[in-house]
Amino acid sequence: MRSDHVLWLTLAVGAVTWAFRYLPLRVNLTRMRTDGALARFLAATGPAAIATLFVAAILSDVQGGVTPHSSFAGLSLPLPLVAGALATAGLWFVRHSVVMATLGGALAYGLVFALVA
Amino acid sequence: MTQTHRSPFLRGLAASLPIALGYAPIAFSFGIAATHIGLSLAQTAGLSLIVYSGAAQFMALAIIAAGASLPVAVLTLVLINLRHLIYGPTLMRAARPKAPLKIAWLWSFSLTDEVFAAALAAFSRGGVRFSESYMIGLGIGAYSSWVGGTVLGGLAGAGALDDFPALAAGLGFMLTALFLALLLAILSPRQIPVIAVAGVVTVVLMLTATTAVGIVGGMIAGALMGVLLPGEAVRPRDAEGADAV
Repeated sequence: MRSDHVLWLTLAVGAVTWAFRYLPLRVNLTRMRTDGALARFLAATGPAAIATLFVAAILSDVQGGVTPHSSFAGLSLPLPLVAGALATAGLWFVRHSVVMATLGGALAYGLVFALVA
Repeated sequence: MTQTHRSPFLRGLAASLPIALGYAPIAFSFGIAATHIGLSLAQTAGLSLIVYSGAAQFMALAIIAAGASLPVAVLTLVLINLRHLIYGPTLMRAARPKAPLKIAWLWSFSLTDEVFAAALAAFSRGGVRFSESYMIGLGIGAYSSWVGGTVLGGLAGAGALDDFPALAAGLGFMLTALFLALLLAILSPRQIPVIAVAGVVTVVLMLTATTAVGIVGGMIAGALMGVLLPGEAVRPRDAEGADAV
């Protein structure tokens, strides 16, 4: 993406995000139902986005970069990736801390990378 | 919670400390990831300063790296932040009736998932009286950590780690680890269908079309799945995490 496009992207999304956070306070949407279809759709975009981003990240790591219409040829499971994922999940289940799980997973990845690279 | 003699601003600032501590490493990883895909330090810092939304910022990196056009990128990031529309009304329901909103334009800027969840918990169960000064304090602490962490990460990712490949590799994996940790954090019977649908659709579309199509399509499919689930849409625990956060 061109440099000026990144600037426009930043400004546009920043303005809209602020508007999403501020305008409902001004138009008194306190009567909006939090169990309605619209509210459920809006609330689900966050978890859906996290799932999407995780799948995209892990698929890119496994395939070494995704290209259009790519197949499973050459698929491999590098040890650092496996170690990092297991460490992240293990630390989460033990400590229930996103920060510790993230840092621990990155540490495990780096350590195994240093051993096998 | 016992009322103290501290000003509402200082109480809000103190309440922001857990959020700030959680934001710092995630913002650091964002800074590294952004410079890795080719963004300058100014662009990286600008995203955190102006957008200030972890989920949208990380999605922006994925969309930019995938080569999406500007209109598609803007639409995708706007879609991912639609959930913020319900935060203000939900928060004001928990606040005292007819609470003044003289500078809501200022503190609402910092209404991320974590700030919203912390404020909602404070007003609903924590015995804290709503005030705009409290919201300012809560927002400043979290925002400072997010921007500061981003800048540090941007500096680290801009070549400072070239002589430390294992460290660079570990920090590069931090993004994937973050998403996995967030996924586990939000995992609940209610979210499983949303996550499953989003994940499957993303895989299918990424392998048959492009990464950008996969990301956008997966997110929409997962959100639509959420419409089919009954019950209350937003609870404090459900809100935590999407902003990374």
